Amino acid sequence: MIQYENVLTTCPYCGTGCGIHLQVLDQQLVGVLPTKNHVISDGGLCIKGWNAHAFVNHPDRLKKPLIRKNGKLEEATWEEALQTIADKFREIKAQSGPDSIAFLSSAKCTNEENYLLQKFARAVIGTNNIDHCARL
Amino acid sequence: MDKRINELGKTIEKILPEVDGVIGLKSGPSGIVAPHLFAKERPEELAFLAVWPKEPVPDTLKIILRAHPDAKLAIVCRGCEERGIVEMFKHAQLKLDNVMLIGLQCEQSEAEFCRCAKPYTVHAKLTVGQPIQGVADPLTNKIAAMNLEERREFWKQEFEHCIKCYGCRNICPQCFCNVCALEDEKWVQTGRLPMPNPSMYHLIRAMHMTAKCVACRECEETCPAGIPMAVQFRLIARDVKEMFNYETGAVMDQKPPQLLVLEEGEYQRTGLPH
Amino acid sequence: MNTEPKIIGFLCNWCSYRGADGAGMARLKYPPNVKIIRVPCSGRISPELVLRTFREGADGVMVLGCHIGDCHYSTGNHRTAKRMPVLKKLLEYSGIEPQRLYVNWVSAAEGEKFANIIHEFTEQIRALPPFRETMESRTPIEIKPAEKEAVWTSA
Repeated sequence: MIQYENVLTTCPYCGTGCGIHLQVLDQQLVGVLPTKNHVISDGGLCIKGWNAHAFVNHPDRLKKPLIRKNGKLEEATWEEALQTIADKFREIKAQSGPDSIAFLSSAKCTNEENYLLQKFARAVIGTNNIDHCARL
Repeated sequence: MDKRINELGKTIEKILPEVDGVIGLKSGPSGIVAPHLFAKERPEELAFLAVWPKEPVPDTLKIILRAHPDAKLAIVCRGCEERGIVEMFKHAQLKLDNVMLIGLQCEQSEAEFCRCAKPYTVHAKLTVGQPIQGVADPLTNKIAAMNLEERREFWKQEFEHCIKCYGCRNICPQCFCNVCALEDEKWVQTGRLPMPNPSMYHLIRAMHMTAKCVACRECEETCPAGIPMAVQFRLIARDVKEMFNYETGAVMDQKPPQLLVLEEGEYQRTGLPH
Repeated sequence: MNTEPKIIGFLCNWCSYRGADGAGMARLKYPPNVKIIRVPCSGRISPELVLRTFREGADGVMVLGCHIGDCHYSTGNHRTAKRMPVLKKLLEYSGIEPQRLYVNWVSAAEGEKFANIIHEFTEQIRALPPFRETMESRTPIEIKPAEKEAVWTSA
């Protein structure tokens, strides 16, 4: 049984919010199509939008957390990684204060993930040093 | 418009049990239309069948056939899309043995929107709708009537707005090269905006569209800057018809001129010295 | 404006380049404006190559190959004969004088024809304004680091 559909979504990159169709063939993401008659994008896409599907299954993406031990990055478990982060944040916050930590978010994350990160930065760590790769 | 959807829906329903899927247009959230593969396992999706705005379906056919070479498919295609499919078949991008073409004829308003001279199918055995006569393209005629300086100025103004989104190339039903000349640093400089004058990108694209452009206007519709680049492609198509007696997608058995050597009498029509 | 026209000639190794050689051996005089680039066959000349040659500042481009039927690779010049007329038409539709692109067939024995062609074409190009002037462009926005600029000599 062959399955092909176009899933309507919004381009994750800049703040314009162009409509984008993700081409899905047999549960695999294969490409992108613009959306005609969309109120914002009107059938056009910029070069980032045309390649918005590329990062999803990119071979460069990490599959396991990596921790630097003895100058080399080694694979670790999620528990170990999260514990290391929590310990280090506590240590740095105690030694140098909350403003010594900065947070950098990404356009490839969802809005919800970005919201969580800034809440974490502001409420948990106590710093305003949060920025986004698109400076939004 | 409604009449065609009903007729199309009935035609598809009849074919659905015999094929692995029918490629057509489906209306999605907010009424936004996209290509879709209707299958007999999901007959309820036919309720969302749509015909306008048209989408580039030949590429969808190619994607599915690449993954499933033996699939039996049917595809709803307009005149331009049918020409695109036939042309891709001539360039060995897909096999038409198991593909059934359902020809959707365009209406007057649609033909005027696309400024299309041939808004009807010629190869499809099953057709939906009544074929109408095409319209001339006023913009192509306007450029053809301009003199050299006016044309230079016109294209300089137009190409200055290009943002190099590569949309025209991505959406073209005929652009299938795995290694594209437009991504080669030798021909198209990266990181340079606005486009240089003359614009390498657009002129190279126009040359590569020789005997390939099917006048679907998808490139012009997807261009965020509204550049009418298809005018150049169609002007060249007139010369291809005159020099090599070739019209893209018109005759199934006629090989495109770039795959053949010079035929009898062609050289005289090229205007080259004897 | 009295600048000397800059012309690039793509000559095929087997016929036209040997014809040019023949012109040299016979001590025939012809204008020095043409810089000759030897290629294996005129069919190797892609439209991208001709367009880049214009972009880099050439006022005229010549593509000289073997006579039809005499190509060393049997059908290479058939490709030239199909491609170049369409490119000339495209130049015309884009506002570039189509006579800036010159296509002809010169065999290895036609040294005199070669010299005559160079004379004729150089005068033709001299009568036209320099290519740069006809296509002034805006200064581009500096986006890339300077090292990459070395690949492209034009603005």
